[in-house]
Amino acid sequence: MTELNIADPTNTSVPVLSVSGLTKKFPGVLALDDVSIEVRSGEVLAIIGENGAGKSTLIKMLAGVYKPDGGTIAINGEVQNYASPADALKAGTKVVFQEIALIPEFTVAENIFLESHLITRIGTIDWPEIRRRARDIFERAGFALDPDAKVGDLSISQQQLVEISRALAHDAKLVIMDEPTSSLTPLEVRHLFEVIERLKSLGIAIIYVSHKLEEIFEISDRCTILRDGKWISTQPTSSHTNDSLIKDMVGRSIDDLFPRSERKFGDTVVQVDGLYTHNRLDNISFNVRAGEVLGFFGLMGAGRTELAKAIVGYDPISAGSIKINGNLLSPHSTIKSKSLGLGLLSEDRKEEGLMMDANVTRNMTLSALQKFTRGGFVNAAAETKTAQSFVDRFRIKLAKLGQPIRTLSGGNQQKVLLSRWLMYGLEVIVLDEPTRGIDVGAKTEIFALIDELASQGLAVILMTSEMPELLGLSDRICVLAEGKITATFETSNVTQEEILDAAIQ
Amino acid sequence: MPQSNNIKSKFSLFSTSRGNSELALIVSLLVVITIFSFMSEYFLTVRNLTNVLGQASIIMALAMGVAIVLISGEVDISVGSVVAAVAIPLVEIMNATDSLMLGIAGALALGLMIGAINGYLSAYLRINSLIVTLGTLFIIRGFVYLYTGKRPIADTGYLENFFQLGSGRFLDILPNPALVAGIIVIFFIFIMRHTRFGRRIYAVGSNAEVASLAGYNVRRLRFYCFIICSLLASVGGILLSSRLGSAIHTAGMGYEFQAIAAVVLGGVSLAGGIGSLFGVMLGVLILAFVSNGLGMINLPTEWQLVITGLVIIAAVALDAFKKKSR
Repeated sequence: MTELNIADPTNTSVPVLSVSGLTKKFPGVLALDDVSIEVRSGEVLAIIGENGAGKSTLIKMLAGVYKPDGGTIAINGEVQNYASPADALKAGTKVVFQEIALIPEFTVAENIFLESHLITRIGTIDWPEIRRRARDIFERAGFALDPDAKVGDLSISQQQLVEISRALAHDAKLVIMDEPTSSLTPLEVRHLFEVIERLKSLGIAIIYVSHKLEEIFEISDRCTILRDGKWISTQPTSSHTNDSLIKDMVGRSIDDLFPRSERKFGDTVVQVDGLYTHNRLDNISFNVRAGEVLGFFGLMGAGRTELAKAIVGYDPISAGSIKINGNLLSPHSTIKSKSLGLGLLSEDRKEEGLMMDANVTRNMTLSALQKFTRGGFVNAAAETKTAQSFVDRFRIKLAKLGQPIRTLSGGNQQKVLLSRWLMYGLEVIVLDEPTRGIDVGAKTEIFALIDELASQGLAVILMTSEMPELLGLSDRICVLAEGKITATFETSNVTQEEILDAAIQ
Repeated sequence: MPQSNNIKSKFSLFSTSRGNSELALIVSLLVVITIFSFMSEYFLTVRNLTNVLGQASIIMALAMGVAIVLISGEVDISVGSVVAAVAIPLVEIMNATDSLMLGIAGALALGLMIGAINGYLSAYLRINSLIVTLGTLFIIRGFVYLYTGKRPIADTGYLENFFQLGSGRFLDILPNPALVAGIIVIFFIFIMRHTRFGRRIYAVGSNAEVASLAGYNVRRLRFYCFIICSLLASVGGILLSSRLGSAIHTAGMGYEFQAIAAVVLGGVSLAGGIGSLFGVMLGVLILAFVSNGLGMINLPTEWQLVITGLVIIAAVALDAFKKKSR
């Protein structure tokens, strides 16, 4: 275990991982249908596909979480039969899940040896040896980690390094990364890519799952595309273009990612003047008209989420005023903002938007429940009927309204959240990163939906860090930097450079 | 990302305060002792201090068990009834056989059975452990009432070693129950800190899914925690019975909450995964010295209840604050 397993890169005859005909059925769904892939030592294979394409099902089988219904998984030519994730790790497969699987109260070193604490001859835990081996691994892999630091005190990117160290401690031959960059800053992404290069040079095979196409182009050698549980193609990434990837993923080409209907602007609906908050926002003033999309762009820490939460009365403000149709948002609370027709679609769907275990209907009708209530009783039939109408209108993919919302894909969850507010009857909606963690195909649908809402006269305030989304959807753009608005543009006559310039002031 | 920065700074604040929490408990204990030694001249005497250790021994045994279950992410509130229940086989078997060892074996066997039932229902059948052990709390007490007819069962053999267990003193200083409790404390502090079993309990309580991904048998680990808890409650029951010289149907009533209060005061999170048994020991001692001190200054027992209640709320508020800062 002290020796890192450095595979001989000249020996490429047997792939590290070879999956053949892998199939997984869930009640009513064929989640993965006869998928075969190979990954070789020192290679990065990207796996992409929309949500529901079967990526996570595939990963979970490789990790030993799910048992396949058909097909085989072989590591270095040996067919594996995993009874548990521990078996997969023993065989040399380490998955770095999106939700990091570490114990925050434990030290870095202890987490690395979580599977099996090293013990002394008398059976007690050998703490010095655990620390020593952890340090060894950091030295070999070039990680700047403190073995005695508490994992809970580390950043997500450092925690990823701990996970990778765990892989090295167990002589992993295959490291699978599931959306590793979803909570990283651009700088941290750079560091991760350096780590991946380092792993490649150690002869480790890597499977990289991501929604972000630019990353796929940058880091992967080959790229497998899945759609509806089926294998579509595996090609060298360099032979792909952005368009060809998207085409293979969604099964059709997206000529127009950002449909835009003619928008007619009405009267000013939102009027924000001299807004300050204690922690960040600094003299924010703007207005939004009915039928208009006002985009807010800013880098990490510019204050987008803070602004979104302050506008809707969720976070306190220290000065300034917010008026909806001339009515002051006072008291500054979400109860008041809701009554004025102002609502927020939070960037954190899971924590601040959805009741994950409740069903689709309950989630959708949460805000508008009053409309279905007579004398204190909820009219379930009317509730279901309205929910169904939104499901049809927004083409929300689900088996039945009664299924828990956690079983829906990110895009469909987001549609349910939008439905919640539309059912209530908003005049202004604040969208904070509305397509975060949503795959390309579903993104287009969300874009179309936002466009449709604006064309119907809703005032939309869009907070985003994604330039295409900003330019594609907004009518006007405000750039935030360090809590201030540093520039305001008409989208029709601005370049990306001008926007970025204002953002890094 | 500003949010993550906030979380980070809170994290480090949290961990610093946690690193200091045992120190804070030691300081609190010393403050309690100092205050009462000024208020009563009898408080700071070897006799009184060792008496307190003796009185605290039963809650101490219970608290260690409850703490282990809480750290594993479950809860056991049936321990008060276990205390009363195990005294019955203890005294009955001693009366029939004149053997303390057989009596203790009987008591532990009953405790083992109760722990297995709690553990099976909670860990394997995944019924909420608060409900399961609330249920067994009533059920066991009910059976105790039924069996005893609400009358004490006296130790009719007057076994010398049974009397010594409860009322004797080790080296003429330390009450034997305190010695037993001390051994238990040291043993389980060691187990929780320096064995795989102990560290796995922490991991399971912190995040059962992560533990399961790491290959732990989460259900079995929790099952063992319930058994340990019930066995320790049985030890508490045996000690109490040896002090009383009989099996009493009302024995141990409300002890479960005293134990939980001490455990939470000692820094164990109700959400699981956090806390040390050393802290729990301090928590038990603080409550014991407060109770003893209030008695020494002739504060009526009614007021002692009020103050214990305040300490419980303060302890839970502390836990909530900890969770918030995570």
